Amino acid sequence: MNCLDFRRQLLTDPFSKDIELLTHEAECPSCAPFARDVRAQEIRLRNALQEISPPEGMAERIQLAARFDQRSTVQRRWWYSAAAAVLMTVGISMVSLVSTSIDRGNVALAQSVINHIEDESHHLREAQQVSAGRINRVFARFGAEIAGNIGTVNFAAECLMRDRTGVHLVMPGQMGPITVFFMPGEMADSNIAVNSTRFSGRILPTSWGSIAVVGESGESLDGLGERLAAAVRWPDSRTVDSNLFGRGRLIAASFTQPQDS
Amino acid sequence: MATLRSDFDTLVNALSPELYRYAMGLCHNPSTAEDLVQETFLRGWRSRDNLRDTKAARAWLYTILRNEHARLYERQRPEVRDPFELPDVPVHGYDTSAEAFVMRRALTHLDADYRDPLLLQVVGGFSCKEIGRMLDLNTNTVLTRLFRARKALREQLSDQPQLEATR
Repeated sequence: MNCLDFRRQLLTDPFSKDIELLTHEAECPSCAPFARDVRAQEIRLRNALQEISPPEGMAERIQLAARFDQRSTVQRRWWYSAAAAVLMTVGISMVSLVSTSIDRGNVALAQSVINHIEDESHHLREAQQVSAGRINRVFARFGAEIAGNIGTVNFAAECLMRDRTGVHLVMPGQMGPITVFFMPGEMADSNIAVNSTRFSGRILPTSWGSIAVVGESGESLDGLGERLAAAVRWPDSRTVDSNLFGRGRLIAASFTQPQDS
Repeated sequence: MATLRSDFDTLVNALSPELYRYAMGLCHNPSTAEDLVQETFLRGWRSRDNLRDTKAARAWLYTILRNEHARLYERQRPEVRDPFELPDVPVHGYDTSAEAFVMRRALTHLDADYRDPLLLQVVGGFSCKEIGRMLDLNTNTVLTRLFRARKALREQLSDQPQLEATR
């Protein structure tokens, strides 16, 4: 160990018991007094810092403060629990409110479908098959096109359902006429049952809106909605503008045409 | 809970004096030092799972105190007493010799990077390895900072710069 290393090591720990360090100190006449001076200063430093005693009662005050802190924590927990309970209640109420609102919306849509059929029940008596050209034109108003066989259709027209327009079809069924509504933009979360004393059916959700298929009670409608949904290709739901206020002119025009509902 | 409570009280009795000395070394203000120690223990109590291992708890409490002191400076710079003035309240064991005042002043003028490891070594008695863990530094950096801290102290305390090694 040279003098430089000795002094460097001594200043990192003046009371080091390192043998090499102590040996150098014993053998080097210039480093020995330096070491004594460094240690004297270290003792002054330690005295200045280590002789201080904490104020009387400090430990007790800290222990007391911790007990109060514990109590306030317990109280805070009580408040947090109460607040959480209130929030949960509000949350459940909101969920309930939203689900009630959805339920009401579904009921309202189903009821609108029934009302529409009953209000325009004269279309159920249509017996003349509608041409494919006519069907295509009705769907074309929405940018949709027939992509498969949709079967026999006795009535096809653009119609108004709530505040949107859609396609109204009447098809022959086993028990009587079957009414089909293509309702672009009328988004449904799941299948919605449609029932009245006379009619029964369901509303199926699709990527662009929904389809209502309703027949006389007892009519077998299994798979019809899905088959019709697959038979018509709709544009991207974002570009389908079926809102009444956005399509006013089109509706007015369509209402003047025969077979419009 | 009762055992935890009792363990905590034991820890406060055992460690509060040295933590107070460490706090005094940082701020030189008796009131601020007591506040720092109390806040340190309260934080420790709130995370008391960390207090189960007494040896680890000691280093942990020192770290909390150092961080609390740093936070105090971020929020509001507390009054750092002129080390040549006597404290407002009597502090038992407070060395009032001129030599001690000079030493405290020199310590006050040390950069925090050098002062922190020095205080942890002198007051806390921690090894360089332990200090490295507490300050998130490698051991060689701690050694360098301890060397520079004492070198700076010697230069402040001496009219003549010492003939020492430089690094």
